[in-house]
Amino acid sequence: MSASVPLQRKSGIAQLLGAIPGAGLLLILMLALFTLVNPRFVSQTNLVNVGLQTSLLLMIALPMTLIILTEGLDLSAGALLGLSGVIVAEALLAGWGVFAACAAAFAVSAVFGALNGILIAYLALPAFVVTLGTMGLMQGIALVLTNGDPVGGFTPAIETFYRSQLWFVPLPIVIAVALYAALWLLLYRTRLGNYVIAIGGNKDALRLAGIRANLVHLAVYVLGSAIIGLSAVLLIGRTNSAHPTVGIGMEFEAIAAVVLGGTSFEKGQGWLFGAVLGALAITVLRNGLNILSIDSSLQVVCIGLLLILALLIDQARKQFVRRAA
Amino acid sequence: MMHGTEIQNEQGGGSLHASTGFAPLATGSEADAPLLRLVGIDKSFPGVHALKNVSLDVYAGEVHVILGQNGAGKSTLIKTLYGAYAADRGHIEIEGRRVSVARPADASALGIAVIFQEFSLVPYLDIAQNIFLGREAAFSRFGLVDSAAMHAAARIILDDLGLDYDTRSYAADLGVAQQQMVEIAKALSQNARVLVMDEPTAAISERESDRLFQTIARLTEKRVAIVYISHRMKEVQMLGDRITILRDGAVVTSVLRDQKSQAEMVGAMIGRASGSQLARTPRAPGEPILFTRDVSTAKLSDISIEILAGEVVGLAGLVGSGRTEVVRALFGADPIASGEISLSGSRAPATPDRRVRAGMALLPEDRKREGLALPLDVRDNATVASLWRSFASGWFSPAKAERDTRGLIAQLGIAAHGTRQSVHTLSGGNQQKVVLAKWLAAGAKLFLLDEPTRGVDVGAKAEIYRLIDQLVEGGAGVVVISSELPELVQLCDRAYVMRDHRIVGHLAGDQLTERAILELAVHQ
Repeated sequence: MSASVPLQRKSGIAQLLGAIPGAGLLLILMLALFTLVNPRFVSQTNLVNVGLQTSLLLMIALPMTLIILTEGLDLSAGALLGLSGVIVAEALLAGWGVFAACAAAFAVSAVFGALNGILIAYLALPAFVVTLGTMGLMQGIALVLTNGDPVGGFTPAIETFYRSQLWFVPLPIVIAVALYAALWLLLYRTRLGNYVIAIGGNKDALRLAGIRANLVHLAVYVLGSAIIGLSAVLLIGRTNSAHPTVGIGMEFEAIAAVVLGGTSFEKGQGWLFGAVLGALAITVLRNGLNILSIDSSLQVVCIGLLLILALLIDQARKQFVRRAA
Repeated sequence: MMHGTEIQNEQGGGSLHASTGFAPLATGSEADAPLLRLVGIDKSFPGVHALKNVSLDVYAGEVHVILGQNGAGKSTLIKTLYGAYAADRGHIEIEGRRVSVARPADASALGIAVIFQEFSLVPYLDIAQNIFLGREAAFSRFGLVDSAAMHAAARIILDDLGLDYDTRSYAADLGVAQQQMVEIAKALSQNARVLVMDEPTAAISERESDRLFQTIARLTEKRVAIVYISHRMKEVQMLGDRITILRDGAVVTSVLRDQKSQAEMVGAMIGRASGSQLARTPRAPGEPILFTRDVSTAKLSDISIEILAGEVVGLAGLVGSGRTEVVRALFGADPIASGEISLSGSRAPATPDRRVRAGMALLPEDRKREGLALPLDVRDNATVASLWRSFASGWFSPAKAERDTRGLIAQLGIAAHGTRQSVHTLSGGNQQKVVLAKWLAAGAKLFLLDEPTRGVDVGAKAEIYRLIDQLVEGGAGVVVISSELPELVQLCDRAYVMRDHRIVGHLAGDQLTERAILELAVHQ
């Protein structure tokens, strides 16, 4: 019995260099390709644009990573984004202050997260079905509140917030980086982070260790929804209006980003930085194709291909590592 | 006596730095009161009386070995002690005080730790995080986990065990033996006063076992009480200060080391004099159906066996000796690395689907997961393995499936409301019959039965025995794995005995006795 088995490290630069995930490779390739084809791709305006788009996607993909690490899924994230935005807009129109409006959206989001969490953690219902159900629920409420129309005409403070900068860096990018840092600490430097990974890996082991595993499981959904609900503020700041259906499909893009980055749906295997790689890869692809004036329906095809390609690369690398071992 | 030593609360953490906190007892003599007492523990499950009035005294600084056959109640006893099961009757005392152990957290708060047989590691946490899972508070700094301190603490524990593993490796990347050693490290790190080890050496090498024994010696010096469960006679005699033998859920005897010989202990495990066996009707076997020559797989070495038509052949051995792996290799479910499997005179085809067509059938150990599609009904389950045969054209006929299923229900005496009852509502015995029906319909002539009577009641057992008789009378060959020795001896014409993933003996006729099997199967 020897300890000479090649052992994988958990995080850090060694892993990044030693095993650049498929998404990372493709990202580098795409950056090179788009720059060659059209130098406008690396113009400052465009890079800021890529950063902004990535930030918005990350606001969903980062909490989604935690949820997927518990062997879960949140299909209601996109619908919640729409609903939460509508609540902020309607509250502002009703004369509430900005903070009160955001607090209301935060509270509603947390309650819906708790609903998902209770059904999934305590009643052991499958996350796919539960969040498919709550997705319909949230979407319906958003449509009822707005009659299906966009809500506008509220205070421009939100848009000002979205467009402001911190040392020349657009605020949404700062917020996304801050969220990444906070969730990284949570996942890799707190007990709760270990428990999140343990829920996906072996929930019974967590229980046997004397931890209230269901409560931790529930907390992940509450936290995830609260973050997603708050990020709706950024989304309505972008256009200074709230569309009830604005988030539809964003849950899939976020899930795609997480999986693209190398996080698995099983056993709590994955890493937070994968979401950043995945979100960047998707945004860069979309942006680059835009610059090349490729039709948007074709872009969807390309994102699908990107996902499959990244998975193939990772699979091939895994087999290579196994053979080398 | 009790020194007012508070029972360490492991839940609260900080345990690592309190490693001198073992409750020291004044003297080491046996005149002391036991550290841990189980008093009159009784536990029943539907259909099984698992523990019958079991009492056990465990003294500080002693290794108390619990010996018993598979199914004797050892695992149930541990789970009760650890709060995973609630006892129906009886109670637990620590240092003479009655304590309540309703949940695993209670047990660890009382200083009881268990090294489980089934691994309780989280695959994508690293070794240090697994060792301290749930006890991270001990390494708290500014509200965050001080990862460096945790790894340093894990390092100390691993070094203690002589393990050079990187504390940053994921559990998922460890081999089985390495995982077992991490389990041991995890339990040791709790500084328990009572440490329960459930067959800790089953999956590790000799060298690691030696390390473990040294650690055990060190722990007993520190007055830790060890409850050690094992089948291995060598370990039992080397480690055990006190040996309790369980049989059928009850304590047969509790003795000090050297009070009983190995033969006497084996006898006590079996329970009846070896002469009193049920008579077997000798059968007249026919042509060979299957033989293997030197088959090795990732988990088996040099398996050579032969099965004839019209006979029942047992595969005996302890749990983990490789019996299930043999039938899986025969069935083509696990790839073989070398050797040869021949079926009805020609080389066996490679994959399970083609072996089924060549007449092989596997009744797996875990029927609920591998033998049946539980939510589906009797008809779906009974016909699934023979659809290729009954509906060769590719078109399905519900009427024919219905007819076939009714025939099977009548033939096997399956107690179901009809062909459309979902199998998860059937009793264990009837579920097992549905699995058999599936293979009868497929026209099997070699039946590999892995624990065919596990979890079925006495009446259903007798019926399954009768069905096995019918199969061999019809010219089929039957391989039976069973952990119940009386069952094997009664059912089989001959048996291969396994130990450590190889065949160590072949018993036939009068040689086939419980004692002979057990003597071959346990480690000498």
